[in-house]
Amino acid sequence: MRAITGAANSATAIELAVHAAVASIDDPEYPGISIVDLGLLERLVVTNGHVDIGLIPTFSGCPALAMIGQDVSTAVRSVVGVESVEVSWLRSPAWSVARVSVEARAILADQFTVAVQINSGAAPRCPRCGAATVEQSMFGPSRCRSVHRCSNCSETVEVMRS
Amino acid sequence: MNPIEEFIFSFADDEHLIGQQHTEWIGVAPFLEEDLAFSSIGQDELGHAVLLYEVVLGLRETEATDEAIDALAYDRGASEYRSSHLVELATTDWAQALLRHWLYDTVEQFRWELVVGSSNTALAEIAIRVEREERFHRRHADALLDSLLASPVARPVLLAAFDSLTPFIANLLAPVAGETEAIAQGVVSASITTIAPLLEQRVADRFEQTLSITADISNSPGRDVRSDHFQTLMDRMREVIDYDPQAVW
Repeated sequence: MRAITGAANSATAIELAVHAAVASIDDPEYPGISIVDLGLLERLVVTNGHVDIGLIPTFSGCPALAMIGQDVSTAVRSVVGVESVEVSWLRSPAWSVARVSVEARAILADQFTVAVQINSGAAPRCPRCGAATVEQSMFGPSRCRSVHRCSNCSETVEVMRS
Repeated sequence: MNPIEEFIFSFADDEHLIGQQHTEWIGVAPFLEEDLAFSSIGQDELGHAVLLYEVVLGLRETEATDEAIDALAYDRGASEYRSSHLVELATTDWAQALLRHWLYDTVEQFRWELVVGSSNTALAEIAIRVEREERFHRRHADALLDSLLASPVARPVLLAAFDSLTPFIANLLAPVAGETEAIAQGVVSASITTIAPLLEQRVADRFEQTLSITADISNSPGRDVRSDHFQTLMDRMREVIDYDPQAVW
């Protein structure tokens, strides 16, 4: 990913504004969590007012792709100085949960009772009490989540994995 | 038909139709977790079909719009499809659906491995990302079979379901039209027939059964012939479109 955030001296004002516009789009599954924080933004290039955005999907069959792409396109087009926008879904690299930001993981845990499984070898921890969870169903309410139950407090925990 | 396109269609159409078949278990699978599993797996396979139809559009240097993808998925004549008879098969038998899921995904893994180093960059990239999703599919089928095959009640039912599907394997692994050219151009590394011994080994490991398919492959009908089930499936998929072809979505 182009290191725009945290490297303001290397990014132009319009690049920062476009990045902010992309970051203003939340994942439809998680209101309050930006698609940028979920690791969907891979490429952002501004050339003479033309913006080229490359996104990667969490899973290939995600039904929200067209909607997200449309939302990004609309948001970026409203940035002053932008004349045209092209949003494409990239085949490579593959998304993984390692791309989810630390801030997004905290919101997922606190507001959605979702644990992010970074290490597939270890049991995900319950966001409420911290105990190990046990898988109940390999597939959950959306393609990127499975359903677990906490071994201690019995809370149902959705686990985001890749 | 362009041979490379024909080769890609053999994979894309399989992914499309198996995805459709899996989605038909939504609401009627034996328990909730299987509803979720079959719908999620079906969703992935439909996503893979879209990626493969995009490869065809790439070969035609045509933009991959939703309309262009839908036209490949739904608007071709029956004789232009290159699906295998296994994925065309209608079934309301969940044991058969589960065994088809295992069988199809086992073969699918080997099919992606044949294109992971493809000279078609798009195809090679897709093969890498797809494997990340496919391992969930195989884990799902294997986990269920591990527990069900241990049951004296379920085991004979599953083995009978497997036997009912073995006649479809030769058609699934018979040489695909266009693959000679696809191999020559480095699009795929070897014929789909090379999967036969790999599948025989997986079947032996899983079911303790001997499967011998190499001889049947040479006598199998090819993918240019549709099975009796195809048209019913296509009519059902096209039901809404055909109701009002002029409708604007």
